[in-house]
Formats: sequence, C-alpha cells, structure tokens
Amino acid sequence: MSDPIIICRDVHKWFGHFQALRGINLVVERGEVIVIFGPSGSGKSTFIRTINRLEEHQRGEIIVDGIELTHDVRNIAAIRSEIGMVFQQFNLFPHLSVLQNVTLAPVWVRKWPKEKAEEVAVQLLNRVGIPEQADKYPGQLSGGQQQRVAIARALAMQPKIMLFDEPTSALDPEMIKEVLDVMIELAKSGMTMIVVTHEMGFAKAVADRMYFFDEGLVIESGTPDEIFQAPREDRTKLFLSQILSQ
Amino acid sequence: MASASRPDLGTIGPPRVSLDPLAWIRRNLFGSWFNSLLTIALLLGGATALRPAVRWAVQEAHWQVISVNAVVILFGRYPADELSRPITALAILILLSLMSWIVWRVDSLARARRWLLWLWVVSPVAYALLLRGFSLPTPATVGNNLGYYLFRPEVLPRLGQAWRGGAALALAALVGGLTISITPARWGRWLGLVGLAVLAALNVPLSLQPLTSVAGLPLPRLLVLAPLAALGWLAGSRIGRSLTNLPSRRSYVIGLWLALIPTELLILTAFDVGIPGLDPRSVLNPVEPAIWSGIMLTVVLAVVSIVASFPIGVFLALGRRSQLPVVRGSSILVIEIVRGVPLITVLFMAQVMLPLFLPLDLNIDRVVRAMAGMTIFTAAYLAEVIRGGLQAVRHEQVDAARALGLSEVLVTGLVVLPQALRAVIPAIMGQLVSVFKDTSLVVIVGLLDLVGILQSIIKQRDFVGDVREVYLFAGVFFFIFSYAMSYASRRLEKRLGVGER
Repeated sequence: MSDPIIICRDVHKWFGHFQALRGINLVVERGEVIVIFGPSGSGKSTFIRTINRLEEHQRGEIIVDGIELTHDVRNIAAIRSEIGMVFQQFNLFPHLSVLQNVTLAPVWVRKWPKEKAEEVAVQLLNRVGIPEQADKYPGQLSGGQQQRVAIARALAMQPKIMLFDEPTSALDPEMIKEVLDVMIELAKSGMTMIVVTHEMGFAKAVADRMYFFDEGLVIESGTPDEIFQAPREDRTKLFLSQILSQ
Repeated sequence: MASASRPDLGTIGPPRVSLDPLAWIRRNLFGSWFNSLLTIALLLGGATALRPAVRWAVQEAHWQVISVNAVVILFGRYPADELSRPITALAILILLSLMSWIVWRVDSLARARRWLLWLWVVSPVAYALLLRGFSLPTPATVGNNLGYYLFRPEVLPRLGQAWRGGAALALAALVGGLTISITPARWGRWLGLVGLAVLAALNVPLSLQPLTSVAGLPLPRLLVLAPLAALGWLAGSRIGRSLTNLPSRRSYVIGLWLALIPTELLILTAFDVGIPGLDPRSVLNPVEPAIWSGIMLTVVLAVVSIVASFPIGVFLALGRRSQLPVVRGSSILVIEIVRGVPLITVLFMAQVMLPLFLPLDLNIDRVVRAMAGMTIFTAAYLAEVIRGGLQAVRHEQVDAARALGLSEVLVTGLVVLPQALRAVIPAIMGQLVSVFKDTSLVVIVGLLDLVGILQSIIKQRDFVGDVREVYLFAGVFFFIFSYAMSYASRRLEKRLGVGER
C-alpha cells in the first residue's frame, strides 16, 4: 500500500549562521497532494527548494523516486527532470515566446524532436486554458496567464512530482481563481503535488495532508479536517485564525 | 444594457494632431522671441562657418587625388593581377551583411516570398555573367579604371569556364531549393525545378568535357558540377526551411559570421590548410598579409577583430563569474591588464612581444599580429560590457531554468546569455563602432590602412599639398560606416525590444 516517492529524513539547512531548516521529516506517497503553510520565514519555501536541490541541504537525507540527492551532478539532473516547479514570480523566460518557453526543456533536455515538443506544448496550453497566446511573449500576458504558462512549462517535462512555491501570492485577486482551477484539475488527475500556499480553500478541496511550518520545524501535520476542525498546537490555532479572519 | 451603449473601443484613438509645414515652423522654430533669436543665430552662424568649406569642396578641392588613386586607396599594394580576390572577399562580406539584415527583417513568410521574387529577377543576370564571362565599358574617370578589374572576362583567371558554369549551377540550385522550401503552392515547386532544369541543360555540353586541372586527373566536369549543384540545392532548401522556422534562422547567420574569417583569409592569402591534395595554393597564388593595405586592410582588421573578439569577450565575461578560481583569476588578469593600458601599447606589444610567446619557427605576419592586438583589446572591453548584462539577469531566471533540468551550460547559453546580450546591445555596438575607428591607429606600428595609404599618397609628386582633400575623405569614410553601424544597432534594439516588456 505504502509507495513513498519523496522521503525526507532530518533535513537541516543553514544560510550562513541562520538555521532555516531544523530537521524536517516528511514522506510523500505517490499521487498525494501536500499543502505546506506557515508564517513567512518559517522555511517552507526553502524546504521545497531542497527537494529539487535549488537549495542544498547540509544534514539529513532526501530521497526522490529512489534516488538520493547528493553532490553527484547526474543525480541532480535526473531528479530535476522528474520534478516540475512553479514559482511565486512565474519566472518565465522573457526573451522567448510562450510556445518556446514550454518547448525549451523538452527539446534540450529530453531531446524530443521540435514537432513533438510543440504538439505537446499546444495540448498543455489548451489544458491550462490559453491556447491562443502561444506566439506572444510573457510580457504581453497578465499575471494569471503567465502563471498558467509556467504550469504548462513545468508539465511539458512530464514530471512525476510538481512543486508550487506560493503560486498565487503575486497575483491580483481576480486572477487567483484561474490558476487555482488549473491546480485543482491537476490534483484530481493524480499528480503528486507539494504546494506552499495560504489558499485554505484549495487545501480543503484537494489536499490529502497539511503541514504547518514554523521556525524551520514541522509544528503539526494532519488531514485538512484534523487541521481545520481540531488543531492541536496553539501556534497553529493562532496562525489559522489570523489568515482565516482576513 | 450597458454593453449596448458602450462605444466601439477599436475605432477610438487619440485625436490626430497634424500640422502643415508653416505651422510646424512657427511652433517649433519661432515659438517665442528667445526661440526665434536662437534659430536665427544658429542658422546664420552655421551658414557663415560652412560657406567657405562648401565653396572649397565644390570649386577648389583637387578630388583627382582620390579618383586617380581609387584602386590604391581601396586595395593598397595587393597584386594587380589578383584583385578579383579582394573583390570576391568584399562581395562575400556584403552578401553576408545583406543576409543578416534580411534575416532580421523578414518576420513573415509573405515578406520572404517578396524577397524571393527579387532573387528570381536578379539571378538570371548573375547566371549570364558567370557563364559568359563579361566585360563592361567603364569611364576612365573612375580611378585607374576600376571597372577593368571588376568586369574583365578573366576576372577569375584561374577559375576556368567549367568553374564558372559550376558556380552558376550552384547559384541556380540555391534559388531552386529556396523556392521549393518556402513556397507552399505547387507552382512554386515547379518553378524551382524548371529553373534548375534549364540551367542544368545549359551546362550539359560543358559537363561532358573532361576537366584536367583537378589534381592532374582527367575528371569529367559533370563530376565536379554535380556536387556543386547538390551543395547549392542543399544550402537553398536549408535556408528556406530556416526561413519558415523563423526563430532558428538567426543562429545560422551567426554561424556564417564565424565561418567568415577563415573563408576571407583563405581567399585573400591562400595559405596551406594542411590537407593533402586540397592545397588552396594550387588554385590561388599565395599573397602575404603583410602587403594588405588601404580600405581593404581597414575593413579586414575591423571585421576580424569585431567577429573574433565577440566570442572571446563572452568567454572572458563568463570566466570572470566562474566558480573555478583558476578560470576566474586568469579572466580577471587578462581583462584588467588589457584595459589598463592604451590601445597603442597593446598594438606595440602585439608586434614586439607576441613572437616571444610562440615557437621560434612560427613567424606570424605583422598584419596578423595587429589583428591579434585589436582583438584582445576589444574582447577585454566587450567582456566588461557583457558582464554588466549578465548581472542584470535576475537569479530567479537561473532557478527556473535549473528547475526544468537544464544543465549549467544550457542555463547559461539558452537563458542567461540571450537576456544579458539583449540588455547591452547599445553598449556592444558602441564598442564595435569604436573598434572600427581605432583601426586607424595601426599606422603607428607601420601598417598602411586607409589613413596610412592616404598619408603616402600625399607624398606623390602630383598631389603634394592635397592634405585637406585626403583627410576629409577619410573623415567622411569613417563617418558613413560608423553612422551606418549605430543606425543598425538602433534598429536591432527596437526589434529585439519586442520580447522585453
């Protein structure tokens, strides 16, 4: 029954003397949707960036799809091509058109022929609801459209896992829903997802488990029902009351 | 309800302001009493200053010093019998510049097809000239009858008739391949094939005669012509396909620019390439670069140092940001040393010191040494400009590229560098314009570039004292080319700006 795809044991991370992660233990099963929330500076972004090694952890171990993350460059490349990531600031490549943004990695990393990559890209742009923008440049799109392109770009590599680092925090309110709809559809399709977000509606709808981070530690975890109905820790209660009262 | 009363947004623009010329003058030149005063004073001052200069240029100047010496000014001491070679080299350079311009201008297939139409109009003339050989009467006033060198039938003396036929065939194949690959309609394909067939037929009598001059073997010319035609065809359809595939065509052009230097040097000097049986010297007489001079030297120096310094500059800039201490250290060393001394010093160092670093039996030509000096000098400055561009690229871009699984080389090549270079196009072009002007400094190490040749011309008995004519000519020459370069840079900036917003 248990089929873990990500195993993190006692993950520690320092920036200089500042300790960002103080021993994170977290296991993600295949097909699970995990929501991580917590106050800013709690290490949640740092943590998901260690999973595809945009940040290097200094103690503990991270095993993704059976491969342990070490300094071995081949491991890192193999793992990154299995993990898609969506950033708070979208980070589309401004010098490439939408279509080129989506086909870049499949063509250069997966070595797909251009025709195949473009076919897949058009399908994905359809799936995220913006097929008509393929030849525009990122600067010509709204924030919500850019973020959906970013999701399509990550999906083009056909990843086994998707990481979302506060994907709606930089968006105007009226655009949040269009991005969340895409993410909900993705979650229902069975994708393994780790989502750092404060969108509690999204968490209630699709999360299998939630983790509350504070000061580099997992304070509390559980199903959305457990977290929302009966949080055990005071800090969780306080934080939830703050963000739900807004 | 609301939508019914909403005006059609598409047709409403800002109100058009149009002024007739008189109104424009009144508003912009004589808007206030101070403005009027300024206008009148500047116009009067300008006229007073320019009048004698214009009168001198039109009535008194001895422009014969330029026209009589035209060939010398253009090609300096290059052997008169071999002048077709620098002309060919220049033609290649102009063609490639044109091609780059087209590639950056053609942004739709419709426009590509319009260009193709022109190619069809022009190419028969080219075939005729190539197949028949040609001579055109030119007025004797054009220098030492430049036309004589350009158009006499033996202009490609060692390229016999069969080779000219081959060149025509290759050209035809190129146009044919191009037509077929960018014309979707069936008539376009037929047109391409028919054109090729006609030219092939024209070549049949030639093709069957033996050709004795290739490595002493009696080869039927067909054997030579067929690969040429195939090559042309391949090039044409490849270019055509890259045109239909708009983004990637630019990399072809950049590749061609890099291939340009060896090609041009080979045409101009014919050195041993070290492949047995394929010695260019069996086709072309070797010419030492040391005797290059005139505008030819100016252009070759500028083009070689611009094209060669660019990749070196990129590598130095990347090296300076490298994690590896040795790479970073040596990049900083090169950049700072070269930037810390004047160009003159670098040129002297290249003349005097370069041989010390090389094996004794390797004797490098003076012109090549000057090229090396100019190149490394330009590269160091370019490196700093490009480094500025690299710093302007946000680190999130690197994160995003890495997260997609791109290797570090691809992250740099596909994501960071394109954005960095775009950000500094004006500065890069400014640097390149100044390289072009700085080539005139090689006079000091004894090379006869345009300025050097002009200085020696005014020592001729017939033209002593024509100093003003000669330097005005040099000034106008440099201005025209520098201005063209900065104009091109502004256009490029505007075009690439599309994706920036």
